[in-house]
Amino acid sequence: MAHMLKVNTTLSCDVLVIGAGGAGLRCAAEILEQRPGAKVLAVTKVAHPQKSHTSTAQGGVCAVDPSDPHDNPAYHMFDTWKGSDCSADQNVVKKIVETGWDQLMWLENRGMHFTRLEGGELGKRTFGGHTSDFGKVSSFRAVFDADRTGKSMMDTCWQEAVKGGITFISQSVLTELLFSDGRCIGAILFSEKEGEFIGVTAKATVLATGGCGQVFRITTNCRDNTGDALAVILRAGFPVMDAEAVQFHPTGIVGPGILASEALRSEGGILRNRDLEPFMERYAPKMKELAPRDIVSRAMESEIRNGKGVLNPDHNIEHVWIDLRELPDYVHDVKLKEISGFFKTFANIDPKKELCPVRSSNHYHMGGIPTTEFGEVQQSAEQIVPGLFAVGECASASFHGFNRLGTNSLLELFTMGKFVGERVCDYIQDGALTELPKDAGEATFTQFSRYLEASGTGNIGVIREEMRNLMTAKVGIFRKGDEMAEAMESLKELRERAEAVALAGRTTRMNQELRQRWELDNLLELAMIITRGAYERKESRGGHYRDDYTERSEEFDYHTLAYMTEFGSVRLGKRSIDMSIFEAGGEHSEYFKMIPRKY
Amino acid sequence: MAANYDITLDIKRYDPDTQKTWVQSYQMEAGRILRFVDLFRRINNEQDPSLAWGSSCEHGQCGSCSVRVNGKPLLACELLVENAVEEFGTTRFRVEPIGVAPVVRDLVVDLEKAYERVHRAKPYLIKRAPLPPSSSYYQLSPKEIERYEDATRCINCFCCADACISSHKNFIGPNAAMASIVRLMDPREEEKEERLKLLYSEEGIYRCHSSKACSFVCPKEIDVAHFIALAKEGDFGGDDGRS
Repeated sequence: MAHMLKVNTTLSCDVLVIGAGGAGLRCAAEILEQRPGAKVLAVTKVAHPQKSHTSTAQGGVCAVDPSDPHDNPAYHMFDTWKGSDCSADQNVVKKIVETGWDQLMWLENRGMHFTRLEGGELGKRTFGGHTSDFGKVSSFRAVFDADRTGKSMMDTCWQEAVKGGITFISQSVLTELLFSDGRCIGAILFSEKEGEFIGVTAKATVLATGGCGQVFRITTNCRDNTGDALAVILRAGFPVMDAEAVQFHPTGIVGPGILASEALRSEGGILRNRDLEPFMERYAPKMKELAPRDIVSRAMESEIRNGKGVLNPDHNIEHVWIDLRELPDYVHDVKLKEISGFFKTFANIDPKKELCPVRSSNHYHMGGIPTTEFGEVQQSAEQIVPGLFAVGECASASFHGFNRLGTNSLLELFTMGKFVGERVCDYIQDGALTELPKDAGEATFTQFSRYLEASGTGNIGVIREEMRNLMTAKVGIFRKGDEMAEAMESLKELRERAEAVALAGRTTRMNQELRQRWELDNLLELAMIITRGAYERKESRGGHYRDDYTERSEEFDYHTLAYMTEFGSVRLGKRSIDMSIFEAGGEHSEYFKMIPRKY
Repeated sequence: MAANYDITLDIKRYDPDTQKTWVQSYQMEAGRILRFVDLFRRINNEQDPSLAWGSSCEHGQCGSCSVRVNGKPLLACELLVENAVEEFGTTRFRVEPIGVAPVVRDLVVDLEKAYERVHRAKPYLIKRAPLPPSSSYYQLSPKEIERYEDATRCINCFCCADACISSHKNFIGPNAAMASIVRLMDPREEEKEERLKLLYSEEGIYRCHSSKACSFVCPKEIDVAHFIALAKEGDFGGDDGRS
């Protein structure tokens, strides 16, 4: 069988962007603006870049407006540092925050739609963890397009890329990176639609494949967020950083797991337990519903663990309520029309009259492919991989550390997208194309032949669901050493079962089961390093919470690097946390030491 | 306890390897607020892993799961079992791919091809109007935006194009036309001529028969026909329009 799989098509380009969401296409647009005529190929797993997961971000994007007398970049840097539980890299935080507003203007001036005030200025709203004057009062720092800010940004990014003359390769995935003398020279892609393999040589390759939320059972992430580039990076022998840093969003809608934005709480939505008590007052007396996400998520899970949850019979999921009944009709009908409508559409509930069921849901991966502040992929804390870049949720620079503030992700996408685009332009200046290596694709063909030739029993979808249940139960909001040790054993068993499954069809063309088989390997690998990272980190920090080690510990003031070329055999390394703002010792630097994270 | 339904899905299938087309029936018991994408997933997990179907975000924001159910184009992620039973008055549903592009396999169509029309409509700002002096951005009043805001919510699911009674071969299609109309109404766009040329071309809006099928099926409840009607009247607002 193996001999039947081959590189069917060979392409070459200046820049290969793998993943065409907000980050990948902002990067591509920058390259095309700086280098008109550059040949940029953007690969997307979905049917068209507009379908990317960036489109689902709702509530807003933050940036410090220089004309706002109440805001200051230092406040935003402080919020991000504190929110990260002192594990973001301060050089990255500074760089992103300082350019935020200018880059927002880039989007506005290229046609992104923002909600305006009567006078025509951009409207703003508050978001959890964003403050003025170093935590004293909530800050109005997030601009938005109603409750579809991510879609607006995604639209602008793909439109600009189209305008710049980009070429899209749709419904295709990255299966293997190609190297020559330690330099990345392109990749092997699998085109699902054609069932063919494409060999691409490129002067620079940018990874922007998004998150890996499908590792968990209860998630707001789309069906395609399976951490593909992270798995490919591991197979190439490179590390993933802070894999254990996973964010759980407080308010996923029970059933479909759709995100109900934080904006619902910033507009006055109240969380209540089965006794209808507004329980956040007990957990975060000052910020209540607007405390950072991990704190609200743990409060909700604690209520459920203490028997204060409500069981939904249809989905057999326990949940708490969000009470939106007191919100004015204007908020339901205009301001948050789409989110409010989700409850009606997906659960047949009228949020004006009825309580709405919500449960904490996996939402975001702070960890990812380690990069420098320019998006250069690192093979160790000291060394980069020439020619290879990463940006967006799949990457970790790290702007978010162990907990991301709401609206900071969209900010990261388009600022880092620009920075990486700039660095790529420099890099390709003197770059030359290399021939496709003779053995290009061999690893991919071995892997896919294994899938196509397996002859045992079992179902890919069922194994995927079992893994997701396992991860939500044992490596979710509350984590414990012994349970995670069990989880790692279970993952090995699941992987063995996956190896046996005979596919229903042996064709490569639009064989979704074949792609899902490949995704399952990616997911299992990600699940393994998330669990191992969480197991070794014997402390609680941001989104990573250990029942058996409930406090942050200075012993773990570092980023975890996890390498795994053979399933289950994980090698760990470290990268230090950049504290350059603190070390520079300027005005306000005292706010950037290792501070307690209390709200 | 929630009521369950005994559901039958008659799904139109296509195998590109043999070029065979057939209808396959799947039966299952389903809870009242399961969605059609949940049903497809259950078919893959419990009955037939080979059935191909499209979806991504699964909450009505990406437009990847458009299918025809009993003849109506809709998003499979938004169709709850109990609503489907009520709307169509049956527990048996015929599920087909939408007809806006060639079928790749089963319910998956080649949306990349369908999108070529949207790209042709140039959804970006072709030429940015100059900024007012000493401003970093355009001050647009909510009232100005309100005229076209609804059209910006389009996710290009192509349900409108599937429902459109004009021939897909001759008409650029409701969503692609709307992508251009939005920019004609957007005060930040200076290039109006090129857009008008496209809208009034052979594949332009006069191919539209004003059946309003587009508005009727739009999952985002955008009144697509309203925007096409504005374009037919040349009423784009601002300096170029009559309002």
